[in-house]
Amino acid sequence: QSQEAGRELPSCLTFYHMDLYESKGRLEIFPEEPAGREDGALGETSKESTEPGEDFCSSDRSAYDLEKEVDELTKLYGLDEDKEIDQKLLGGNIATAGILERSYGSIYNAPKSSSPVNGSQRKEHMETTEEQELPGKDSQDESQHLHNAKAYDELHNHASSKEELRSDDRQAEQSIQPNSEEEAADIYCATCKIPIRAFDKLFGDHKDHEVTQLANAVESAKEEIQKNMCKLEEQVTEMENFAGHLEEIFITVEENFGRQEQNFEMHYNEVMQTLTQRYEEKVEGLGEEKKQKLEALYGQLVSCGENLDTCKELMETIQELCKDKEKADFIKAAVPVVDRLREFLKKDMDLVLSTSPDFEDRVIDFSDVQQLMDSINTIAAPSAPVINPQAPNSATGTSVRVCWGLFSDDTVEFYQLYYKQVSDDTPSEAQAAPSPPIIKRKESRSCENAALVCWESGNMNPVDSYTVELSKLTNGENGDIITESIVGIPNCEALIQLEPGQSYVISVRAVNMGGPSERSEPVSIHTTGTYFYLNEDTAHPLLSVLEDGLTIACSEIENLECDLSFRDNGFTRCIAILGTMIPFQGKHYWEVEVDENMEYRVGVAFENTHRHGYLGANSSSWCMRHIVTPARHKYEFLHSGTTPDIRITIPPKRIGILLDYNNWKLSFFNLDIAQHLYTFNSHFQHYVHPCFALEKPGVLRIHNGIAMPTSITLL
Amino acid sequence: MALKQISSNKCFEGFQKVFEHDSIELKCKMRFGIYLPPKAEIGKCPVLYWLSGLTCTEQNFITKSGFHQAAAEHGLIVVAPDTSPRGCNIEGEDESWDFGTGAGFYVDATEEPWKTNYRMYSYIKDELPKLIKANFPADSERMSIFGHSMGGHGALILALKNPGKYKSVSAFAPICNPVQCPWGKKAFGGYLGSDLTKWEAYDATHLVKSYPDSHLDILIDQGKDDQFLSAGQLLPDNFIAACTERKIPVVFRLQQASTKKYLFGGKQGGVVCCIHPII
Repeated sequence: QSQEAGRELPSCLTFYHMDLYESKGRLEIFPEEPAGREDGALGETSKESTEPGEDFCSSDRSAYDLEKEVDELTKLYGLDEDKEIDQKLLGGNIATAGILERSYGSIYNAPKSSSPVNGSQRKEHMETTEEQELPGKDSQDESQHLHNAKAYDELHNHASSKEELRSDDRQAEQSIQPNSEEEAADIYCATCKIPIRAFDKLFGDHKDHEVTQLANAVESAKEEIQKNMCKLEEQVTEMENFAGHLEEIFITVEENFGRQEQNFEMHYNEVMQTLTQRYEEKVEGLGEEKKQKLEALYGQLVSCGENLDTCKELMETIQELCKDKEKADFIKAAVPVVDRLREFLKKDMDLVLSTSPDFEDRVIDFSDVQQLMDSINTIAAPSAPVINPQAPNSATGTSVRVCWGLFSDDTVEFYQLYYKQVSDDTPSEAQAAPSPPIIKRKESRSCENAALVCWESGNMNPVDSYTVELSKLTNGENGDIITESIVGIPNCEALIQLEPGQSYVISVRAVNMGGPSERSEPVSIHTTGTYFYLNEDTAHPLLSVLEDGLTIACSEIENLECDLSFRDNGFTRCIAILGTMIPFQGKHYWEVEVDENMEYRVGVAFENTHRHGYLGANSSSWCMRHIVTPARHKYEFLHSGTTPDIRITIPPKRIGILLDYNNWKLSFFNLDIAQHLYTFNSHFQHYVHPCFALEKPGVLRIHNGIAMPTSITLL
Repeated sequence: MALKQISSNKCFEGFQKVFEHDSIELKCKMRFGIYLPPKAEIGKCPVLYWLSGLTCTEQNFITKSGFHQAAAEHGLIVVAPDTSPRGCNIEGEDESWDFGTGAGFYVDATEEPWKTNYRMYSYIKDELPKLIKANFPADSERMSIFGHSMGGHGALILALKNPGKYKSVSAFAPICNPVQCPWGKKAFGGYLGSDLTKWEAYDATHLVKSYPDSHLDILIDQGKDDQFLSAGQLLPDNFIAACTERKIPVVFRLQQASTKKYLFGGKQGGVVCCIHPII
């Protein structure tokens, strides 16, 4: 921002241009002469300059191509590039000049200048130069320079060539950066796609090019930019949507992962359990076998031992016997022994090993485990869905809507729906079809998007259900063609969703085992606005509803004490009545017509608003109140007993009331002048109903079922 | 007329900018704030002119009111000029806070040394709308004006003196009857001299008495505990009485609030857009 340039400098400062190479009227770092020269030196972007080298050189140069030398030296000292260093050098210019001088001195035969240049002498030169050059500062003309630097002939050779270089640069720069001295571009060359001057078109490079007015070019450029902006915006929306979608997918991936993980864990657990089981079984078997073998062998060992003992005993007996000399005793003893021996020898010595020391091979049967492992990757079949019971309003004459629930653990690829007709071919003769119901017309209420229809059963015996049939009237068709039917309605009322701006004819049938009844007398519903009816059960005794059902009147308040028969559900103090409006979201609009002198309260209230209270005096009602005082019309907007202090200069005669559930607003308008009066901002926690009250004898007309006038839709 | 952009800040997807220009009427450099809603990039938008009160500049409304969100939502361009010419070096212009700098009172002065520069009425009426129309996507068919205190007075008189120019006017704690209150007497005396008829030409209560038709929607909000109300500087009752008699539709709301200046800090946007969608 170049705001600073415009500011005034404090008067004590002189402006020193920092750019050594740019400012022609270069000031000395130690100025001999003050501010007078400032003007010459100022010039922010002036590219005119003199090479400092010129300043240094004295007049006594012989002709020599110094250019190269100077170039090298300036590069060496960074004089041409680095302005900072330049400044320092200029500060120490005498010394530097001295250096240059000396080096030049050796090249030149310039005895006069051989000594370090006398600062003052040089200064004189410089001052002279500068003074001479100042007038020529603004000029691009080489010859001017030549003029001014007359004294420095040899100097000029390279000075002017330097100047040439510089001025060439400058000219080049100038052509790129249009000065304020030149004309501004005013047309546009479409061929080169740059702005140019008209002059250039006629006489310059753009002679044969396509041109248009700059303004037009700007317009079309702007248009294109705007178009592209829209595209950009679309892209942004697309990408945002995609990002949102991606986020959802993230979550899905996580869920799927979780499910798979669980699945795997479960299956592998099964497999592991089976394996462990098998192993344990086999090991147990092995143990059993060992036990058996050992037992058998032990048995053998024992019997062997026994036999051995017997053998030994026999042998000892025989030996003893043979020692006996007496023949008779010997024979006596020997015979049984011989028998015993004979017997014993007959015995079969089982010397064969009863069991083999080897164990049988045991193999774990993995076949079913294999099966298990193979089944890990298969998805379990899903559980059976559960069909929801049929909801009301879910069928037409030729279609029915079926809903069912899905278990979240299941993976489902698709559903198969089977149906079969079950109506009996033979109607049961036992029961007759019921009588048609009777629709309570006055109590039907509707709005743009729905209707609430109530009826009486029309039958002594209970019926199974009701069927509502709708006929949307389009193009003046008659109401015989049923466009929609709602079956399975259990109670004597139905909240039906409708399309706005249409007319419908609605009738009801009762249904039992004997079949459906005849159609009831129909009721017409128009979805042009909100229709409500006035609930006379809630009316204060002094408030009456006239025949049209939408005008209320308050009779003279004579004697409050006597004869007032209060209704059970009616207001007792406030001369009020509640409307009964459809319990449905969205916007509801109605109008009230009053006389300027009427004192009234109009607004909305909850169904259970205090019947002993006044409208607006409690937290269950909101209303606009008008009373006339001797001084003026007084308006209040009451809720919970408080009102803002409002003055309205023109008393409204037709008041529009807009209830907006979605935006939590209740607004009042003066329709005659499309003036917004006041808006309550309240988050209605329950459905509300319109309410009306009169504070003194008079009449109030209500209009409903109408659309909101466009003049106030924007308010 | 060249505009110099001083600042630009993104705000609720739109831009709050401040520009400076050389004013022909005021003969000095003037700044104004302008909020361009996101819709302005696509097409023309209605313009709301906000006039600030005593001692304010173009910054107060931008920084203190919080109107941006509502303006962005409803696609409104909001222009907030300064309250007087600046830097004119007129003797005495900085002596009081309720006269001179920051207190232009939206009149065209006829007295010296003010009459060269202090022409805020013409500036707001002609020069500024022309500038806005030429440089921004402004729907010149739909303009409304509103303001606070001295700015409320400005909004009312500009609307009443130019029937049909503004679709609606609203004012927060406006000075309704300057010829009767100390502020007005001081300012009008200084700018317009001693001829009372000249004063009445800039007094809303007087102007309303001869307003030609009633196609004007006026909304006035006033803080109950506003010290200037009790000091008799604002006099809304006079205005209301005149409007009632003349059958000009006004809704006047007395709000439970004390401090005048920052009264509608965040409410300004909300309150305004309650009625301004009429445009």
